[in-house]
Amino acid sequence: MGIGSVALAWLIQQEAARAVPPAIKQKPVTDLKPRVPQAQPQARAMISLFQHGGPSHMDLTDPKPELTKFSGTDYPGEVQFSFVNQASKKLLGSPFQFHKHGECGTEISELLPHTADIVDDICLIRSMHTGANGHEVSIRYFHGGIPGVLGRPHFASWLLYALGSETQDLPAYMVLTDPGGHPVDGVNNWSNGFMPPLFQGTVLRPKEPRILNLAAPSHLQGTLQQQNLALLQKLNSRHLEQTGGDADLEARIASYELAARMQTSATEALDISQETQATQNLYGLDNDATREYGTRCLIARRLVERGVRFVQLFLAGQPWDNHSSIGTSLPAICQRVDKPSAALVTDLKQRGLLDSTIVHWGGEIGRLPVTQVMGDQASAGRDHNGQGFSTWLAGGGIKGGMTWGNTDEFGHRAVENVVTPNDFQATLMSLFGLDHSKLIYHHNGQPQGLTANRPAKIVTELLL
Amino acid sequence: MQNSARSFAGICLIAASLFFIWSSAFANDVTFERDIRPILRAHCFDCHGATEEPKGGLDLRQVRRMLQGGESGTAIVPANVDASLLLQRVRAGEMPPGETKLTPKEINTLTLWIAGGVKIARPEPDTIPPGLGITPEERAFWSFQPIQRPAEPAVRDDVRGRIRNPIDAFLLARMPEGLTFADDADRHTLILRTHFDLTGLPPSSEQLQQWMNDPSEDWYAGLFESLLVSPNYGERWARHWLDVAGYADSDGYTASDLERPWAWKYRDYVIRAFNADKPFDRFITEQLAGDELSGPQQGDLTSAQIELLSATGYLRMAADGTGSGEDNPTGRNQTIGDTLKIVSTSLLGLSVGCAQCHDHRYDPIPQTDYYALRAIFAPAMDWQNWRVPAQRMVSLYTEVDRQKAAAAGAEAGAIGTQRAAKEKEYMLQALEKELQKYAEPLRASLKEAYEIEAGNRTAEQTDLLAKYPSVNISPGVLYQYLPEAAEDLKKYDARIAEANGKRPAEEFLAVLTEPAGHLPDTNLFYRGEFLQPLAVVPPAALTVACSEDARVEFPLDDPSLPTSGRRLAFAKWLTSRDNPLMARVIVNRIWLHHFGKGLVPTPADFGRLGVPPTHPELLDWLADEFVQNGWSVKHLHRIILSSSAWRQSSRRAAMHHALDPDNQFYSRQSIMRLDAELVRDRMLAVTGRLNPQQFGSPASITEDDAGQIVIDDNETRRSMYIKVRRSQPVAMLQSFDAPVMDVNCERRPVSTVATQSLMLMNSSSVLNHAAKLAERCRAEATPIPDDQLASLPFLPAPSHEAWQYGYGAFNETTKQTETFTPLPFFTGSQWQASAALPDPTLGFVLLHATGGHPDQPNRAVIRRWVAPQSGMLTISGSLQHGSSSGDGVRGRVVSSRAALLGEWTCFSSTVDTPVSATIVETGDTLDLIVDCLTEITSDSFQWTVIISLTTADGAVQSFASNAGFQGPPEPRGLVVGQVIKAWQLAYCRHPELDEMVTSMTFLADQIGYLQTHRDQIPAGLTASQQALTDLCQVLLTSNEFLYLK
Repeated sequence: MGIGSVALAWLIQQEAARAVPPAIKQKPVTDLKPRVPQAQPQARAMISLFQHGGPSHMDLTDPKPELTKFSGTDYPGEVQFSFVNQASKKLLGSPFQFHKHGECGTEISELLPHTADIVDDICLIRSMHTGANGHEVSIRYFHGGIPGVLGRPHFASWLLYALGSETQDLPAYMVLTDPGGHPVDGVNNWSNGFMPPLFQGTVLRPKEPRILNLAAPSHLQGTLQQQNLALLQKLNSRHLEQTGGDADLEARIASYELAARMQTSATEALDISQETQATQNLYGLDNDATREYGTRCLIARRLVERGVRFVQLFLAGQPWDNHSSIGTSLPAICQRVDKPSAALVTDLKQRGLLDSTIVHWGGEIGRLPVTQVMGDQASAGRDHNGQGFSTWLAGGGIKGGMTWGNTDEFGHRAVENVVTPNDFQATLMSLFGLDHSKLIYHHNGQPQGLTANRPAKIVTELLL
Repeated sequence: MQNSARSFAGICLIAASLFFIWSSAFANDVTFERDIRPILRAHCFDCHGATEEPKGGLDLRQVRRMLQGGESGTAIVPANVDASLLLQRVRAGEMPPGETKLTPKEINTLTLWIAGGVKIARPEPDTIPPGLGITPEERAFWSFQPIQRPAEPAVRDDVRGRIRNPIDAFLLARMPEGLTFADDADRHTLILRTHFDLTGLPPSSEQLQQWMNDPSEDWYAGLFESLLVSPNYGERWARHWLDVAGYADSDGYTASDLERPWAWKYRDYVIRAFNADKPFDRFITEQLAGDELSGPQQGDLTSAQIELLSATGYLRMAADGTGSGEDNPTGRNQTIGDTLKIVSTSLLGLSVGCAQCHDHRYDPIPQTDYYALRAIFAPAMDWQNWRVPAQRMVSLYTEVDRQKAAAAGAEAGAIGTQRAAKEKEYMLQALEKELQKYAEPLRASLKEAYEIEAGNRTAEQTDLLAKYPSVNISPGVLYQYLPEAAEDLKKYDARIAEANGKRPAEEFLAVLTEPAGHLPDTNLFYRGEFLQPLAVVPPAALTVACSEDARVEFPLDDPSLPTSGRRLAFAKWLTSRDNPLMARVIVNRIWLHHFGKGLVPTPADFGRLGVPPTHPELLDWLADEFVQNGWSVKHLHRIILSSSAWRQSSRRAAMHHALDPDNQFYSRQSIMRLDAELVRDRMLAVTGRLNPQQFGSPASITEDDAGQIVIDDNETRRSMYIKVRRSQPVAMLQSFDAPVMDVNCERRPVSTVATQSLMLMNSSSVLNHAAKLAERCRAEATPIPDDQLASLPFLPAPSHEAWQYGYGAFNETTKQTETFTPLPFFTGSQWQASAALPDPTLGFVLLHATGGHPDQPNRAVIRRWVAPQSGMLTISGSLQHGSSSGDGVRGRVVSSRAALLGEWTCFSSTVDTPVSATIVETGDTLDLIVDCLTEITSDSFQWTVIISLTTADGAVQSFASNAGFQGPPEPRGLVVGQVIKAWQLAYCRHPELDEMVTSMTFLADQIGYLQTHRDQIPAGLTASQQALTDLCQVLLTSNEFLYLK
């Protein structure tokens, strides 16, 4: 597959082709220079705090009085289980208290006190639906647009393909993984699929040094390495010319240019010691429980501040997969992410960046309202639920202080204003000024889109 | 972690998401079997067909049953769309519940079918067995068809000339008008491409010259034939197979990730098998059932038996946590599941894992088939009668080894006895000495108490010894009484160690074997849960891969073998002429590694979720050719390498932009990046450091300060011999996409990210390779005569402030340097009078980076520094003389402006040589003079100083005598020779003129810069040496080095 073959087909296809700068028309995408979207964009960057495993919406964001009332009795309908041998239809009321918060009065669980503080800035979607209970199948749906299917570009790769990057000094798409390891589904969480390597995610190391080999050895620093890179560029260009052009070779040349600039820009971007004590404390860097995640949230802000298009944070494995002992395992993971996540929104807002930066918080699925039998009551937990769950968005043209959609009275199925990952993607794309149905990439002669011609609607009610 | 990344539930649900259908439907010919059943299979059969009691009593497996309907009445009404309940429920989104809904296209197909009168392709039987079974339509899928050798296709006349063998015809036949193969690649490109493709290493300069100059017509066949017999061929192609086999040197699964110390025996088996061109059917059979073929062990294992048992390492590649704390049903079943995944993806090209929990939703693999496959391995991998990794080791000790070991043990034991006796004797002697300190009768009482065994002492005696603890002589205190005793005992210890050293090293194989007569049942697990076993399933082949009326079941036990014979029977079925899968899967893999992409782009999925072959006829022709030629992989290489398709250039031309931008027609060769291992191997090869040692235990890895896993710089074996620890991937290899073995690697991605570039720019390992290449260039370069240098740039002359090296004398009267004569000869590391040492006239005068040696008093050595600017300087440093012979040396610092600034003598000692502030003007000299005093022997000295110069503007510059040490500027002709050498080594070619100009300009710029920034020249190097190192780094990290044309 050649990058030279990539046509910005959406630019050609759109009705208002004359609005496009003529120089861009039909020119293949071979760089990450910033490009003009189809419509006036609200958002220019996005930070996604992906919560692997399926946060339990009935215990966190979606209060269900009926569930509490009928706790211990059987769910009246059909339940979609994953682990059938441990299945039970017995409703499990949330052991956690909900209270109204903010001017909007949205109810949030006591487990997320900091998220509760920002409810007026977020849009809480309570009707997410993937239709499948499996982790991987839903994860791939969110990232790649088709449930379960591998080899498709991540949402962020589509963004880069369409819009390029505002910074030429840092990778445009960065992934911040957990010191505990990769999330479930590993490197598939940041795949560029059939797109060229130019649109790949760059993974930061979960501990210092976040980027290996970032500093030149002292004797090469400065002019000498610049001379080296200039010679390298000269040899590579000559070589490229002889091959008649090749996407991989071009991408390698670009990656050297980026690497050279990153030596200063990334060092600076990753230096959180430049932040005030107050900011560091806001993210919980002064506390063992929140320091690690808080540090990554803070780095994410520093990256988008410097023009990075898309940053995604992952947790190791899937800590929200609370099949058992939900009474203890859920508070632990909440404590780790709640404060830093809320701090990110607060901090972006204070700096005037929230208007143009989308923050996303959510997992690939939610959890069932019924108990998963794992021996005694204390070890009870909840099984997977792809039928209905919550996600929140903030900034970048998203309305704050609102909730959208509903699950049934017990929290199993999304029943009102259902939002699928494809709807979610189409909506986000629109905030970037892109039409999901017209953003086309040709792969092996076939037109491909993020939502793959599946039903996908822009949820306009969420937009400012 | 019941729902990990590898959870069966998760994987299987992928299936639920399939959004496409595989046949276009037209109103007039929509049939149930072809068009409707696949839709129902994907969305409905889980509840309405696959189970014995369908939900709501509705069974959708046959049209007659749909008409019959369930509790809610008939599901369909022929030709009446609105009255058909099935369609109503589907359209309303009520069915299927929860799961992904039918696509509009699928609903349309269903509607057309009902409107068209619910057509069936053939009469439906009255009764059908439970389960989904396999329909003729499913059976008709391409990969389950017998392999038939297609005829060579007709090809357009204008391109017929490009056909070298049938591969070309099959490819050309599919090309659109106007497209053909690119021109043949040039000879140089082909030589490199073939070398890397077959051996993973660059040609040596001799090999390159041989093939560049070979005048024969069939030079190219000669080239690849010579490489096919290279021992490195097996290494290169074994690595491909080890990816699919999931090779690792550790157990994985748990955080401790225990080392798997004998896995490499399997790795070596694979290398040898490829080198020997072991017929692939035999290769597979040995890996699946080597133990079953090896026969009973009588006496020592024969080499044939060792080879066969090594082969079963294939079935021991899966991660296995049962040796590190996870010896439980979950851990055991996980290992079995992973092993089946490795077997199915590598040999069947199918992901059978979905069928672990339920009938596969897309491929016709019933759940019973999965357990039938599992039953094949059950006697050897029985989760209820498990053997942990340590219990699966076979010792390679021979009878002779055992005897030697026993003899060594006996010898060590005998010496040990002698030692014990001796020690006892010494203890008594020590006791006597201790007792001398006490008077009788206490002495006698103490002795008596000591000599009685601890348990038998009276309370009095115990108390007595407690009161006088020093009487309790132990071996540890012997030296206090008898210093010589400890030394003597050490001699015994050494002899014991020596005797033990005669014990032959014991090696092992990690094997898969079956306990005799062990024939456990294999139960189908309800939803894949081992806690819910259902019916017993006998071993059998995949139903759909057998002909319709002849399902292949394997005997539970083969009475002619000591083992069950199940795996042997399975291997026989896999490699039989009728098996539609394996030959296709293997030739597709071979093709993939030659062209960078498979004819089936999904090499581990030949099912409906995979991508169908781009050139199905070619795939079948190759598979047939492979089998017809004795499953010879080298035969496949020969025909592929001989084709125009492979020999063509990778250059992109106008026709490619227009007609084949993504190269889907193979109208040019792909540009391919070197695999991770090859990047490092090539660097080692070009620096001349590659250790050719093959086989054996893997090279160790370490963690550096930054926490990344690195290879020790002195470890120079090929990268495939580096330890593969699942939890500790080597940073450099992982960065370039070497797999981190979770299960196995079906296909490597090829990534291009800035972090790779940073590694190539800044990592100590790459910098080291560059320095080594530069060293090699200096050592091997041939100077180019001056008359050939006309068009090349000049290099900067040595700068003025350079240090100078000479000899001469100090004038005691004027306190000035009387004579200074430059030393004329540089050895590469030191200045001296001539190549000979001692020089016939000047003797031992020499200066090196940190010191030197004077000769007679009037031939002192002088290290001269010339002030680049005026200012105030101070000097710090120390003079050291090491020898205790002779009379030492004298050091003086003499300024051309201020005469003698300091004087020190030094004899077998070190003295500091500080010089306080003194003024210099530009061009003044400062001489560090060392003379011999009176004796001229034993006068080697060390003297390094740092000169700090403070200029008028307050800036301070430092000049270190050792860092500033340098030889004479290299003649331009020699530097040019070094550059040419660098090109030849790195790129296997001579640089073009423009490249020479570019390189010399680069060197001139760098040298010029370094001469004014001496602190950036690493110690021990000159400016031009560092510049050459930098040039070498650029070559090693350039695209021409990292990619093959």
